[in-house]
Amino acid sequence: MATTAQTSVKTAVPKRRLSERKRDNLFAYLFISPFFIIFGIFGLYPILFTIYLSFFKWDALNPMKYIGLQNYQFVLEDSIFWTSFSNTLLISVMGTIPQLILALLIAIFLNSAFTKFKQAFRVLFFMPNITSIVAVALVFSAIYSNNGMGNWLLDIFGLDAVAWNSGWWGVKIAIATMIMWRWTGYNMVIYLSGLQSIPADLYEAARIDGAGRFQQMIHITLPLLKPFIIFTVMMSTIGSLQLFTEPYVFLGQSGTSSLRSEGITMVNYLYSEAFSNSFFGTAAATAVILLVFTIMFSMINMWASNKLGGDTEG
Amino acid sequence: MSKMKKTLLLLAAAIMVFTLAACSSSNNNSGNNATNSNSSGTSSNSDNSSKASGETVELSFWTLGNTNYEDLANQYMQDNPNVVIKIQNTGDQTAHHNNLTTALSAGSGAPDIFQLEIGFMERFLAAQNSFHNLNDLGAADVKANFLDWKWAQASSVDGSFQIGLPTDIAPTVAYYRTDLLEQAGLPTDPVEFSALIDTWDKFATVAKQFTDATGIPFVDSRDLIYNAVRDQADGQIYFDKESGEFIGNTNPQVKKAYDFTIKGIQEGWVANYALWAADWTQATNDGGFAVLPGPAWMLGNVKSNGPDSAGLWRIAQLPEGSGNWGGSFLSIPKQTKHAEEAYAFIEWMTSQEQQLKTFTVSGLMPSTPALFEAAEFKDHTDEFLGGQASAAEFASAAERVAPIYYGPLHDQTDSYIKEAIQNVQEKGADPQAEWDAAIQKIENLIKRS
Repeated sequence: MATTAQTSVKTAVPKRRLSERKRDNLFAYLFISPFFIIFGIFGLYPILFTIYLSFFKWDALNPMKYIGLQNYQFVLEDSIFWTSFSNTLLISVMGTIPQLILALLIAIFLNSAFTKFKQAFRVLFFMPNITSIVAVALVFSAIYSNNGMGNWLLDIFGLDAVAWNSGWWGVKIAIATMIMWRWTGYNMVIYLSGLQSIPADLYEAARIDGAGRFQQMIHITLPLLKPFIIFTVMMSTIGSLQLFTEPYVFLGQSGTSSLRSEGITMVNYLYSEAFSNSFFGTAAATAVILLVFTIMFSMINMWASNKLGGDTEG
Repeated sequence: MSKMKKTLLLLAAAIMVFTLAACSSSNNNSGNNATNSNSSGTSSNSDNSSKASGETVELSFWTLGNTNYEDLANQYMQDNPNVVIKIQNTGDQTAHHNNLTTALSAGSGAPDIFQLEIGFMERFLAAQNSFHNLNDLGAADVKANFLDWKWAQASSVDGSFQIGLPTDIAPTVAYYRTDLLEQAGLPTDPVEFSALIDTWDKFATVAKQFTDATGIPFVDSRDLIYNAVRDQADGQIYFDKESGEFIGNTNPQVKKAYDFTIKGIQEGWVANYALWAADWTQATNDGGFAVLPGPAWMLGNVKSNGPDSAGLWRIAQLPEGSGNWGGSFLSIPKQTKHAEEAYAFIEWMTSQEQQLKTFTVSGLMPSTPALFEAAEFKDHTDEFLGGQASAAEFASAAERVAPIYYGPLHDQTDSYIKEAIQNVQEKGADPQAEWDAAIQKIENLIKRS
């Protein structure tokens, strides 16, 4: 208590010199400071430390050793890193493009006047998105195991079994379907809200002019949905660059610490560098490289969406 | 004026918050310094505390998995009223050890006593500065009570540093199904069956004979049969225990394990199940394989995976020796202020009497061989195993384990070899090409370390 009094006395002296305006500003900063303090500790500091760490060799327990750019060289020369890079791209294309098309079709179906139980369908389609990813991955790994449901179904149709756990395409298909299952409903809801924002009189006018359903879709629905489509493509791209849990749980089944090269993504690579191998330096370098890639892809996305039409911002 | 006062108070409060925050961080630092100086002069410190016996000492203890350690701690607290033990339990191995890594590298927050699982041993053994050398606290005197190989797992290569006192062990045996062996006309008695497969060559012959006769794979999975042969290596597997250099490509036992597993795959007696996968679990129940080479704790999995197969399983000894997979140690991080008290507790915890209690309550195999002769231990039977004296069988496996050096990159290296075996089994890849590719990946890994 005594210290409180002392500090207040001390601060009182410089305090009087502040003008009304400055004081207001000071208070404004004080009121918004909780966010910045928390962001600084849990956001900014780890980011800066990651960049710093990427120049060191460190196992988290013993002293750090400066090695310059060697971590970057290790990562960029590691063929598994490039495999993880191409895996990330392939899985995201395989998981995203069919997913967005399907989401759009479902949204149009749910938006059409004659569908009953709309509310129930919306809930059902959104459900996968709020299901625990680990549970999802475990259920899917039961389907995609050597003697599991997937191969059983293929067998019924007289097809050869697929090596879901080790096949170059098998693993990717398994992971891509998990992503599709989980995110289709989410994107569907976004498209649905987009569809509902399109005024009905446009369709009416089109009908009067004799446009068919298909023509209505091409000339009214799709152009007016463009901002929504761009938003979902953007979010899906960023999301799939950060893909982690599905392959981690799906391929981590065997109890071994590494992930098979058919399904390892960049974040999986980063994680196993840090937490399986205790190479925190190369993991940090991977994180910085991943940051560069994410910025690059976001810029390509933004450039493409600007190209598609400048009026999409609104 | 009153408005002025209010703003002043607010500002003062804000300043207080910041200064307090600063205070607490500097407190932490000084706390650390205190611990460091304590650790160098622990003996004098503990003398003081034992003199002032009225003072209570609080020990935090992070435990892992299902144990009876709460009960033991309660009993210890009754016997030693000046000690309070706070247990924090988790079932998540990875989080458990990562939390300690974080606490150690942050310089505060580590418990006084930590249950260290063998799978994470190498990581912490490489950070000797963060742990008390238990030999300095009196561990050398109790060394003779424990199995040699178990003790060596927690020692530095030259044996001077001891990171933990042994708790439970997990020697490997062969779990097998009598009903399936009967179908193939093989002996079902544990002694006879163990004798029938007492070398790996004989094992392979019997396996082929069984699969030819029944059409059912003999061994449950590639991973477990590979482990079983690998763990019988002579003192070292992938890394040289003296130099730490990679020797996996020249170690004859590694190549033997690889070739043996490939042979089993090619002859069709290694089942195409991934370990822990749903179809593997199902096959345990349905008789999808006859033999499962696994550690003592695997019995729990066999029981829960195969409720319908109760009474059909038995334990035999693995050919040529045994390995170990799992088990823990109790360690004392350097951050503790009560090293002496913590050591007294863990020495008591790992004593024969307490390990016997842990065995009877939680079924964990003790690491003190003298107990293997105790009546309660020897006469322990298991109905799931048709009334076989299981504890005695695990004990004889434990006595066949040889000490092995793993090295910090063991797990990752191992997973590359397993990936190669998986490619051969699931994709029909060429074994030699896969082996070469695995070695290439391992060499890349070592380059990064």
